[in-house]
Amino acid sequence: MGMFLIHPLFLVCSVILSLSYCFIVNGKKTIKLAIGLIPVFFAVSLLNPVFNTDGVKILFTYFAGRPYTWEALCYGMAIGAMFITIMLWFACYNKVMTSDKFMYIFSHMIPSVSLVLTMVLRLIPGYSRRLMQIYWARRCTGKSGEGMYMSKRLREGMTIVSALATWSLEGGVITADSMKSRGYGCGRRSSFSNYSFEVRDKIMVIFMAVLMSAVAVSCWLGAADVVYTPDIFISSLSSFESAVGMGSYCIFLFIPTGVNIMEAVKWRILKSKI
Amino acid sequence: MAHFEIKDLTFYYPGRENPALEHVNLSVAKGEYITICGKSGCGKTTLLRHLKGVLSPHGRKTGEIFFDGKPLEDMNLKEQAVKIGYVMQDPDDQIVTDKVWHELAFGLENLGTHQRTMRLRVAEMASYFGIQGWFHKDVKELSGGQKQLLSLASIMVMQPEVLILDEPTSQLDPIAAADFLGTVRKINLELGTTVIITEHRLEDIFPVSDRVIVLDKGRIAADERPEKIGELLRGEHNDMFAAMPSPVQIYYGTKSQLKCPLTVRDGRKWLSEELGNRKISVKSLEKKDGPYEEKNAGNTVVQLKEVWFRYEKNSPDILKGLSIEITENQLFAIVGGNGTGKSTALKTICNICRPYRGKVLIRGRRIEKYKNGELFKNNIVMLPQDPKSLFVKKTVKEELEEMETDSDENRGISIERVISLCGIKDLLNHHPYDLSGGEQQRTALAKVLLTDPKILLLDEPTKGMDNFFKIKFAELLNELKEEGVTIIMVSHDIEFCAKYADNVSLFFDGSIITSDTPDRFFSHNSFYTTAANRMSRHIFSDAVTNEDVIRLCQMNR
Repeated sequence: MGMFLIHPLFLVCSVILSLSYCFIVNGKKTIKLAIGLIPVFFAVSLLNPVFNTDGVKILFTYFAGRPYTWEALCYGMAIGAMFITIMLWFACYNKVMTSDKFMYIFSHMIPSVSLVLTMVLRLIPGYSRRLMQIYWARRCTGKSGEGMYMSKRLREGMTIVSALATWSLEGGVITADSMKSRGYGCGRRSSFSNYSFEVRDKIMVIFMAVLMSAVAVSCWLGAADVVYTPDIFISSLSSFESAVGMGSYCIFLFIPTGVNIMEAVKWRILKSKI
Repeated sequence: MAHFEIKDLTFYYPGRENPALEHVNLSVAKGEYITICGKSGCGKTTLLRHLKGVLSPHGRKTGEIFFDGKPLEDMNLKEQAVKIGYVMQDPDDQIVTDKVWHELAFGLENLGTHQRTMRLRVAEMASYFGIQGWFHKDVKELSGGQKQLLSLASIMVMQPEVLILDEPTSQLDPIAAADFLGTVRKINLELGTTVIITEHRLEDIFPVSDRVIVLDKGRIAADERPEKIGELLRGEHNDMFAAMPSPVQIYYGTKSQLKCPLTVRDGRKWLSEELGNRKISVKSLEKKDGPYEEKNAGNTVVQLKEVWFRYEKNSPDILKGLSIEITENQLFAIVGGNGTGKSTALKTICNICRPYRGKVLIRGRRIEKYKNGELFKNNIVMLPQDPKSLFVKKTVKEELEEMETDSDENRGISIERVISLCGIKDLLNHHPYDLSGGEQQRTALAKVLLTDPKILLLDEPTKGMDNFFKIKFAELLNELKEEGVTIIMVSHDIEFCAKYADNVSLFFDGSIITSDTPDRFFSHNSFYTTAANRMSRHIFSDAVTNEDVIRLCQMNR
């Protein structure tokens, strides 16, 4: 959601909060990531006016009068900030959403697709391992094509790939047998999960839904309205509804960070009581 | 009532003239533990697959199979899935999902079991099999033994009445195999589940089976209690006698009149009784081989000098200062537990793994100096652990021909010779993947031999091989040795090493602890030694093989 609001205050909020959560999840790696993202931000900001010439305030002209405008630059910065947030949230997502959790969420909605996914996850490392095995086996029987012509080496490469395909297909047959023999395809599947939906999860979902709708309503009322080009218009946050919208937005983005901080604090307290 | 009843089953694979199964009649009672054995390719797997409708191979079939008095065909998919559990050979391919917990739940998910029931059953099984510790792990992190145990557990979770196992331990090392078979035994005893199992390695399951069935070319050759089966096979001069456990072979070798022992414990007791009232005059076979150094006076072919190796910069060392010197014309066997670095040592010899310290010398020349595949040209060759990694063509014949094309005319070994050496004459037109595990192993060996090697590296060559072919395999190795080939073998197969190796080394923690002739090596060990030695060490001082014990018994008559 933070990805679609380009109101500067909302953007600042979401950059800070995504960065803070990323720091909690990924630790010191975040610093590296953040440093890497700074040039990205500048590149996006500075390049936008080159493609977008709308705007009133012209900073300078180039290429025989093509204008470089202040409004487009601002718009570029907004897009840059949005881009950074997306990257940061994805860095968090990658760390937090393991395949188990993904399966838990999606196996109820699309059981067959999620099963395929988990099988694929299992196959990929197997393929690379087998490829190396075949390559080594070929090498140790003097068939690697070392020191031969390019055409021969290419043919050798093809041989290895085709051998891998045969081997994997054979493996696939066994896997299919194993699935069949355990009753795959004899009716509607259910799905097992390690997680359960507790009361606190329910409370959290309701809480988040309330915040989301508050933000949505206030956006609908125009709290986050913003136009960069041709003339900058940024809605002020003085009215009640926009203040509520902004506040809800901040709290919403703060939830993951907050949960983690609360947990840490709780541990501290528990520890100190011992 | 019989649990399984097979009536006059005959089966032909499409396009083959010889039946894979011929007039098979078999009845299995509830709760029985049945072992089916036979040479590789004799139809064991075909028979087992017929016992589970969904896995039955395509082909022409006559005869009937009943489960609980009902024809097997009448059972629906769900009933079959629940009541008949089937564990296959390959630890990797029969696992479907990427997580241990998901694999356990997979069968129940297919049946549409309710979440609450599923949790209970999965929890039960995980606890029964001791899986809790690795419940959340990725399947790819597991060892082969753990994978097989997981496969078993993921079938037991559906509470089957019959458990069918098709050579479940052929890819495992002896310790993992014993562990696995122990679990199967426990299931049989504690839950009363009927077990039908095929195996090459009979030592562990022979004593616990209620009945042993010997298949020969698709026919039932014997169906008896384990104590009787040896007598039957011995009388018929059946090749399968070589697969019997050591105590049984020794017992029949000495023509004793007492009761046949099945385990090492019973064997010790039997041997004491057999020789009990006599004075032991000959305690040791005065083996003629002299001191170790004298025997190995030949040229050094492979030499490793304080080799250190690790796979990644931050991973632990696998080889820790390994030094070996291997001389010409011998069968040099390396034994040792899993993950001690045996296979890695082989890989350094054929330059797949490059050590970060130390030297590898092949015929006195640094291995790095061999350029452009020179190392593998009529010089070194390695038979990988998994024979499948060598197969690239559509038929066995093409596989062999592929090896011929590149090399020169005046080779020392011809295709015809290799075919007869490895006994694969009948397999030439088959697809390599259609062969049984043992046949694949032989084909791979044939392929490797066609490079006309001087140094042959074997990684677990006897894995999945039946005892009958092991004898032929040993003859083959002997012939190669006579032609001047040096053989370096990594193996778990203690009995094989004891019988045929010239030198046995114990690998432990990244280097070789001790290296000696098999006789001395095994008679000094008390745990890591052959069954024959364990059985006779309280009476004889250096009997290592079955033949040694039999000879000593006869000398003391």
